[in-house]
Amino acid sequence: MSEERVYEVFARKSHDEELKHVGSVNATDDDLARAYAWTLYDEERWVEMCVVPRSAIIQVLHRGRVPVWGN
Amino acid sequence: MGELTARMERASEGEMRETGRREFESLEGMSDACVRGVHHLLLACADTKLLLGYHYGEWTFGTPELEAAVASCSLSQAEFGHVRLLHALLDRHFGDDPDALVDRRLPHEFANVGFLDHPVPDWPGFVAANYVVDLAVTRVLHALRHCAFRPLGLSVEKMIDEERYHLHHGRGWFRTLAARGGDDRRALERHVRTALASVAEWLGPPDEPEDRALVAEGVKATDNRALLAAVQHDVAELAETLGVDVAVAPPRSFAGWTPSNRRIGGGGPDEEILFHLRGAKNAMYKLS
Repeated sequence: MSEERVYEVFARKSHDEELKHVGSVNATDDDLARAYAWTLYDEERWVEMCVVPRSAIIQVLHRGRVPVWGN
Repeated sequence: MGELTARMERASEGEMRETGRREFESLEGMSDACVRGVHHLLLACADTKLLLGYHYGEWTFGTPELEAAVASCSLSQAEFGHVRLLHALLDRHFGDDPDALVDRRLPHEFANVGFLDHPVPDWPGFVAANYVVDLAVTRVLHALRHCAFRPLGLSVEKMIDEERYHLHHGRGWFRTLAARGGDDRRALERHVRTALASVAEWLGPPDEPEDRALVAEGVKATDNRALLAAVQHDVAELAETLGVDVAVAPPRSFAGWTPSNRRIGGGGPDEEILFHLRGAKNAMYKLS
């Protein structure tokens, strides 16, 4: 059984701009995460878009009670 | 996935380099068989995309999750956009009126993959259309990337670029349903086999004269038999890793098959599907 997980979506509009966090998608695998990110966040003419499984983000520091990424 | 796209690109580039080719800005200079082949191939791709667009649109409100609904809607819009591109080529080079192509043909004059002739009954059916049928048309587009008929070659890049995400969606759901097991997996196997058989029928018999002319004159990089083998390989490769059985026997005979209908037993899309595609119900509200 495929488990759904959260992927964070990053994108940029030009090559001299840094990647920005634009949102997240829920998907059972990397292929679906790509398709969902591309179709959900297509409001800009991005030159690059990436997805990262939220579970792959290694937290270094968080001072609030709720971690920013929630993992 | 990136590997699959790269494989398709290598196939079209490698085979094209071997062809001693001339380029055509119009149909002038092509053999009659090649001109007919271009016409029929454009119609076959446009009709299949028209029906894919319809089914993707129909499923926008029936998907198992919200993200898939947005994706289905986007896939549908992309397919209809591709139809406009292909219809523009048919209009410019063959004098086919785009409105007439949709509104004024009989069902048996459509040349889409037959799997799309009827309503898609369930989500595994949608996934089979998305993964197998969409992949087959994309394989054809890749074979046209370095097309000697330049107006066509220039139009396919945009489509190929967008089709990448259709494949991600199809593969992702194929994997998801296979992993779920039970009825979902059984339905997936059944629909994928039917879709593969339908694609084999659509691509046509081995050594078909128009297809042979398209390859000989550099319009297409590979013949339809090779494209079918590539589609079967792509699907079987993923299916094997998931233990899904998608083996299908090739059609025994292509008697009755023509390049204008691409079906062994004739037929075409359901009248009701064409009724909705044509927006006949909305026509009464149209301002004259």
